[in-house]
Amino acid sequence: MRENDAMTPSTRDHATGWLMIFPALTFVAVFSLYPAMDSFLLSLYSEFPGSERSFIGFGNYAELFRDPVAHQALIVTLGFVLLSTTLELLLGTGIALVIHERFKGRGWTRAAVLIPWAIPTVVAAQMWRFLLNDQYGAVNAILFGDQVDAYVPWLADPWMAFGAIVLADVWKTSSFAGLLILAGLQVIPDETYDAARIDGATAWQRFWHITFPLLKPALLTALLFRTIDAFRVFDLVFVMTQGGPGDATQVIQFYGYKTLFTEGRVGYGTTISVTVFVALAIFSLFYVRTVGSKLLQREPA
Amino acid sequence: MVLLCNVPLAHGREFGTARGSSPTLVSPPVTLHFVTWKADHPQAWDEAIRRFEQAHPRIRVNREIAPHSSTAYHDLLTQKLKNRDVSLDLFFMDVIWPAEFAAAGWAFPLDEYFPQNEREKFLPATIASGVYRHHIYGVPSRIDSGMLYYRKDLLEKYGFSPPSTWNELVRQAEAVLEGERTTHPLLRGYSGQFKQYEGLVCGMLEFVGSHNGSFLTEDGRRSNLTAPESLLAVRFVREQIIQRLATPAALTYQEPESLAVFIQGKAVFHRNWPYAWGLANDPRHSKIVGKVGVTTLPRFSGGKSMSALGGWLYGISAYSQHPDEAWAFIEFMTSPALQKYFAIHASLAPSRLALYADPEVLHANPQYKDLLPVFRTARPRPRTPVYPIVSHILQRYFSRVLAFPKTDILEEAQEADRKINRFLALVRDARE
Repeated sequence: MRENDAMTPSTRDHATGWLMIFPALTFVAVFSLYPAMDSFLLSLYSEFPGSERSFIGFGNYAELFRDPVAHQALIVTLGFVLLSTTLELLLGTGIALVIHERFKGRGWTRAAVLIPWAIPTVVAAQMWRFLLNDQYGAVNAILFGDQVDAYVPWLADPWMAFGAIVLADVWKTSSFAGLLILAGLQVIPDETYDAARIDGATAWQRFWHITFPLLKPALLTALLFRTIDAFRVFDLVFVMTQGGPGDATQVIQFYGYKTLFTEGRVGYGTTISVTVFVALAIFSLFYVRTVGSKLLQREPA
Repeated sequence: MVLLCNVPLAHGREFGTARGSSPTLVSPPVTLHFVTWKADHPQAWDEAIRRFEQAHPRIRVNREIAPHSSTAYHDLLTQKLKNRDVSLDLFFMDVIWPAEFAAAGWAFPLDEYFPQNEREKFLPATIASGVYRHHIYGVPSRIDSGMLYYRKDLLEKYGFSPPSTWNELVRQAEAVLEGERTTHPLLRGYSGQFKQYEGLVCGMLEFVGSHNGSFLTEDGRRSNLTAPESLLAVRFVREQIIQRLATPAALTYQEPESLAVFIQGKAVFHRNWPYAWGLANDPRHSKIVGKVGVTTLPRFSGGKSMSALGGWLYGISAYSQHPDEAWAFIEFMTSPALQKYFAIHASLAPSRLALYADPEVLHANPQYKDLLPVFRTARPRPRTPVYPIVSHILQRYFSRVLAFPKTDILEEAQEADRKINRFLALVRDARE
């Protein structure tokens, strides 16, 4: 009896606790866990038009690791991630430093900088496709004016098409990176700069010894967001190049889309999605464990 | 009226007295959901459907307009069919889809509605494209096949008649460009579709086919891309067409972009489907009205001219609740009267043979007389339920060898052969 008495409140607390997180748990279970598990199960089957669905265990995964088209798509994707995130963080830092300064019209500037990010990616991609058009594109008109015979078909060359996709992404998301970095800038107390100025530090020294180290958490957050986002790039490729020419811009998500939706290879297409999901989950976990925990430890100091 | 009533009473349901007769006798109104693509001539389609609704007062047609691109349309449609969407009644099938749609059980077999004696009135190639394993799943709305458009005025000026071989085409184009260099510095020799997409497969089929090559072996069981005829044709496209006559931008062109180049007067030769005739002669779009000629595609010496078979078949969803009404729609839209209307107002080449002797159709499309042999012999793309997979492998192969001039064509062809063979074998195993 006494034991029970002692237990009751804690059991009740537990029950209340469970009750309160129940909605959140249900949400996660229905909208994240279930689709993820279902996708995983689908990836264990072979299925395409004209054949029955059949269980093949990890056969699709074995095929994915041997598939040269998937390898190429992965390399294109990694190149895209590396190039676009680097450029976006550099530009984003620049943007953040500018719109952090006090000047007349700063509110308007901040809003204006965010416009590219606010445009839906599909629209932005369509716009870039027009801008880069070989006949009437604005890019050619600006570069070559009336010299129509010098106009360049940007999206026809494998390397330039890849560059165009990176450029469109950098144009679109640098300001988002800038926004995250701006948040980091705003928590750096002005006193540190005042002190540095009194000590005679130059602008560069103030940036390198104060701004940059204190900005690291924000930079790393921006890096995480941009890496995950860039890894999932799809719409730019879908609209601008359809993966061409010669698969030069075929990123892994577009390859997954083609196998799943056009070819109807449900199992294999899902395998690609699941693999991307697992890769990103591992990356995020690694990131949070190493970089993230270090940041958290430093914060109180 | 438009057609004889040859509709069997399928499923024992009352199809009613149909066709313009008193609506009071028949069952309540039915709305058909028709998923179609963005048309090249939207007004013609609005008018055709208006006429159908007038003739069938108890049937309404609700259109859902999908993208213009065949692949995007395919993805949207198959997604609905995979979900067994009962609200979907009617759709188009590109000539390459019936095998896939039939194997997956998405398309309703039309054998009872569409008897043999009716099928014989259509061009045989279009009927064949709707048949899979002895059942018919589609009714051809029109025929498409690749053809060569050319600048009549320019060829005449330099004393040429339309080229019959590809090498002749190259020589003529170079002579014209040489002569026009000062007056038309932007003029190109050739404009076609070489983007990495379905159209690339059609265009390359015509080059390979006109050199006695083929994509698959005759029995359809193996890929045949490494055959020397095929490799030579591909090399010709890379070296003579892409690197010499066309602009490199052709690697980004689908039909509309390549047609734009031609009708702005910037190309001597142009490969396209029949619909381009109307647009090339429409003063609102074209700068070369009256200066356009059209003929069969050239061949390689020793080969035969080859056109890729394209076109769209009407199909009924296997999950439709209104197959009888859907059939009434198909029957109306593919009737001689409507095909004639589309031929005159949208340059859509009829799938019904008899219309090629119709004076009004020929008046609007004088080129049909010479092109009928092309329509009769148009070459289908491989017919297999895994066609979308085969097509992606072909697209990758062709796009790579054209966009990367240093790739080894034989090596790329071997890789494509291997992959295609694997999938063809998988489908065979699944069936046997």
